[in-house]
Amino acid sequence: MSPERSLSLLLATSLILTGCGRKDTTTAGNVRVTYNCAANVVEIKHLQDELPRLADSTGIEIVLQPFTGPDKLYAMMAAGEPPDIFYTNTVMRDRLAAEGRLLDLRNVSTDDPFLGRLWPDVYRQGLSADGGLYSIGNWSFTAGVYFNKDLFDQAGLRYPDTAWTWSDMMAAARRLTVDANGDGEPEHYGIFIPSHFIEVLELMNGAPVEQKSFFVDFSEASREVFRQYVALMNNQLMPDLRRVQAMGMQASQLLQTGRAAMLVEAVPHQVLCEALTIPWGVAPIPRFGSRPVRYFRSASGGLSISAQTANPAAAWKALKWIIAGASIYQPNPVLKDADFVTGWEARYPHLVGSGFREVWQSSLKYPAGDPRFFVRFSSWTSAPILEGLLPMLDRVWARDMTVDELAASLPGINRSVRKELDRLLQRGDLRPEFVQAIKEQLSLAAREPQR
Amino acid sequence: MKRSFTGYAFIAPWIVGFLVFTAGPMIASFVISLHSWSMLSPPTWVGLENYQSVITDDPLFLTSLWNTAFYVVFSVPLGVGVALALALLLHNRYPGMGVFRTAIILPSITNIVAVSVLWLWVFNPDVGLLNAFLRWLGIEGPFWLQSETWAKPSLVLMSLWGVGGTTIIFLAALQGIPRELYEAAELDGAGSVKRFLHITVPMISPALFFSVVMGVIGSFQVFAQAFVMTGSAQPGSEGGPNNATLFLVLYLYKKAFQEFRMGYASALAWILFFIILVFTLLQTRLSRERVYYEAGE
Amino acid sequence: MTGIRTSDRKPTAMIALLRSISIYIILAAVSAAFVLPLAWMVSVSLHDVRGVFEQPFAWFPSQPRWENYPEVMGLVPFGRYFLNTALVTGLVLAGTLLSCSLVAYGFSRVRFRGRNLLFALCLSTMMLPGQVTMIPLYMLFSRIGWVDTLWPLIVPSFFGSPFYIFLLRQFFLTIPREYDEAALLDGAGRFRIYWSIILPLARPALITVALFTFIGTWNDFFTPLIYINSPEHATLTLGLSMLKSQIVGTGMTQWHLLMSAAVMVMLPNILLFVIAQRYLVKGIAMGGLR
Repeated sequence: MSPERSLSLLLATSLILTGCGRKDTTTAGNVRVTYNCAANVVEIKHLQDELPRLADSTGIEIVLQPFTGPDKLYAMMAAGEPPDIFYTNTVMRDRLAAEGRLLDLRNVSTDDPFLGRLWPDVYRQGLSADGGLYSIGNWSFTAGVYFNKDLFDQAGLRYPDTAWTWSDMMAAARRLTVDANGDGEPEHYGIFIPSHFIEVLELMNGAPVEQKSFFVDFSEASREVFRQYVALMNNQLMPDLRRVQAMGMQASQLLQTGRAAMLVEAVPHQVLCEALTIPWGVAPIPRFGSRPVRYFRSASGGLSISAQTANPAAAWKALKWIIAGASIYQPNPVLKDADFVTGWEARYPHLVGSGFREVWQSSLKYPAGDPRFFVRFSSWTSAPILEGLLPMLDRVWARDMTVDELAASLPGINRSVRKELDRLLQRGDLRPEFVQAIKEQLSLAAREPQR
Repeated sequence: MKRSFTGYAFIAPWIVGFLVFTAGPMIASFVISLHSWSMLSPPTWVGLENYQSVITDDPLFLTSLWNTAFYVVFSVPLGVGVALALALLLHNRYPGMGVFRTAIILPSITNIVAVSVLWLWVFNPDVGLLNAFLRWLGIEGPFWLQSETWAKPSLVLMSLWGVGGTTIIFLAALQGIPRELYEAAELDGAGSVKRFLHITVPMISPALFFSVVMGVIGSFQVFAQAFVMTGSAQPGSEGGPNNATLFLVLYLYKKAFQEFRMGYASALAWILFFIILVFTLLQTRLSRERVYYEAGE
Repeated sequence: MTGIRTSDRKPTAMIALLRSISIYIILAAVSAAFVLPLAWMVSVSLHDVRGVFEQPFAWFPSQPRWENYPEVMGLVPFGRYFLNTALVTGLVLAGTLLSCSLVAYGFSRVRFRGRNLLFALCLSTMMLPGQVTMIPLYMLFSRIGWVDTLWPLIVPSFFGSPFYIFLLRQFFLTIPREYDEAALLDGAGRFRIYWSIILPLARPALITVALFTFIGTWNDFFTPLIYINSPEHATLTLGLSMLKSQIVGTGMTQWHLLMSAAVMVMLPNILLFVIAQRYLVKGIAMGGLR
């Protein structure tokens, strides 16, 4: 075969093959909506099973694009091909809204009864500084202490309930920490609290968290929380965080294998409900001392629609289906009309009598709380804050840095926050309402003592 | 005249590629580095401010520089040393050497991401292979990738696992040394150490030089392992405990594709290039007297 | 004149035996250390989700879970990843072999003005870290809509790559010029000479380049990471990284599945090595000596 012929054959084959790869075309008549779903293989599988039915009945074909990182999401936006529906937390949402990347959902939802189905606070959480609605909360949760009933029985301890206190919890943890072979390393720990629940403890124990604060603060109440947390590790009531933070070691494994008798985690927690084979119960997280419990319930984020979406009406329909229709997400706690507890108990019968109902009902007593339940920092400054704070937290958890030393380094972080804000204001492309909001908050902060 | 045209015609693919994929982007990247640009909005001119920020006002850059230097300084000499030792061992004409050679080279041709996933588990402080082995010896192993002090040594250790390719290079170089040299030295009464230092090392110096240079260039750009292995389940948190494994290229990637500060990242890239350039030139200069090339090279 | 004393012979034999035994022991230990993690990986891939955490670890599970492999393939489109990777690698192979041999031929067989200078320039680009050009290239590909497609991974390989150009040029230089001259006298064009005479003679070198390119492209991580966003266009390497994030993102990491995926990703490499060991070893050696 002559060189020319083989070359052209090669080119033709490759063009054909690459052409085969693209699946841009949909079945005739269907509208394609891309959903940047959570990178959770279980969730994806359940969704995949239902999507064909949805396409048949509504003509809307949802295509799943698992979330692979905020960098990929932004890259897609920059390339002009963002997913139609994606999750935004309060860290990202305001910034994206200010850049004009998010669709104001009021435009597609006028007179839509769906909005009335949401808890009012969930609705309010989706609003931004300019009054626009940029996201709809797609899940909410509170936090509780899961405990291993067998281990409690063996130690002769009473099960925790809504009346127990922090001292009760510490006493139980001490009893449940067992070092049988005396090598200084307990085989069983009393409790494990993942580090991202520190904010929950702070909020519950009086640390003031200003919704609109740009800067990181560390009140005495917060410091006390951190000290108590580190003390758990120092007293070996809790395993060293580094041991558990190894990638792929999930806190739930600790509970499942009996390595920890108690575990603080979100309520509800799908994986814990499905995968735990030990008899377990759940109780509220007590506050320090003997103060009565307080609950927080939060969405911390929600689904947004890209401003560049080709078919806003279809995207809105798809979004509503995801929140209220997809079976894996039902019953959805953001919906007033979903009797969440009954529905969840129907799904996981072993929840009855576990304490789940009591924990959830209690959380309803307070309006769905701080939307930044797990996300303490404002959209604008979370990046420089976390960049400076996380490495230091690593050192605090490793006991290389004391809580007071951490407090002393915070002004340094706030300095870089100020720089970031200056940079933001210099950009010419943020929408004016948001620039105004930033300036207002900055002037408020200027009146406060230097942090 | 016709010959010139033919010549250019043949190397045309490279010329076009050079202009489009190398020279053009290099110029563009320098220009970008003089701006502040997130891809989502138009660029603004900042002059040399990015370079200034990187050098004077960026503690994370210094951290990443230090981390990278640590990795280079330890993994390259250790890697070359281990590879050389293995090559010397394999150089003997015993039966079955092929099996050992296969075993040693196997890890170095496999996929870096698969290797990283594997070693993520090997380094697990609780159930990983490494700590299990240490426990068997009666030692309580450290937290490896979770520990600020052990994160970098973990990656250095992992890099030693991949010395197979370098071993083969040295093996081939060793096989190219004429036996007469050794015999003559033995007759003159030279001991094995002297023979090693004065015959073996000079004769394989081109391969040594090549391995060291490529090793330095390669390890300066360490990325995949750090990206896959360090950082929590939360995307965007790569870099290890207290940024212990935040290497230069990883830092660059984060600045460019996670924070979208393209101008700043481009400045970082040029600084990286400059550093590599200086090192390579230094090595070339230093090796001028030491590297012995056979006549005709 | 010094000679070897006869009384040296007996102890020499003993020393030689001890030497060979100790070398065998050391090499065996090192080889075991090198292979152990791979064996462990295979073992983990055959366990179930709890078996992975058992202490002490059971190297040979009583019931090897071969179904882990189909399970992983059902979770993520492994077949897709494989096809994408095969496609990219195949095209890159063709592109690299074609372009590098063309350019190497030009640099070695045709005399033209500026040849040495251009060749030096070509070599010096080997030192350039990819990150310097990464951002503008991303911009470029983004402008023409090639982000999240496989094109950015394929197209640059059709324009030559300095290392292989260098390797092939060295090889071409060893082919006697008489072949060229005879063909020229017969009236053959340069391209004909290149295609019909030089290429067949350069088979060993081409195979080496092909093997290296295969390994490099099949295992490439950085380029797909930057350009590919969605799983349908992902390569095996990127897919494995995405799977790792996905699996770690669930509440309970299923390490046995992750390891199964890792084994599947490594398998083609290992198979290739077993088949082409001779060429690979020779090629690595060739690369290091010049």
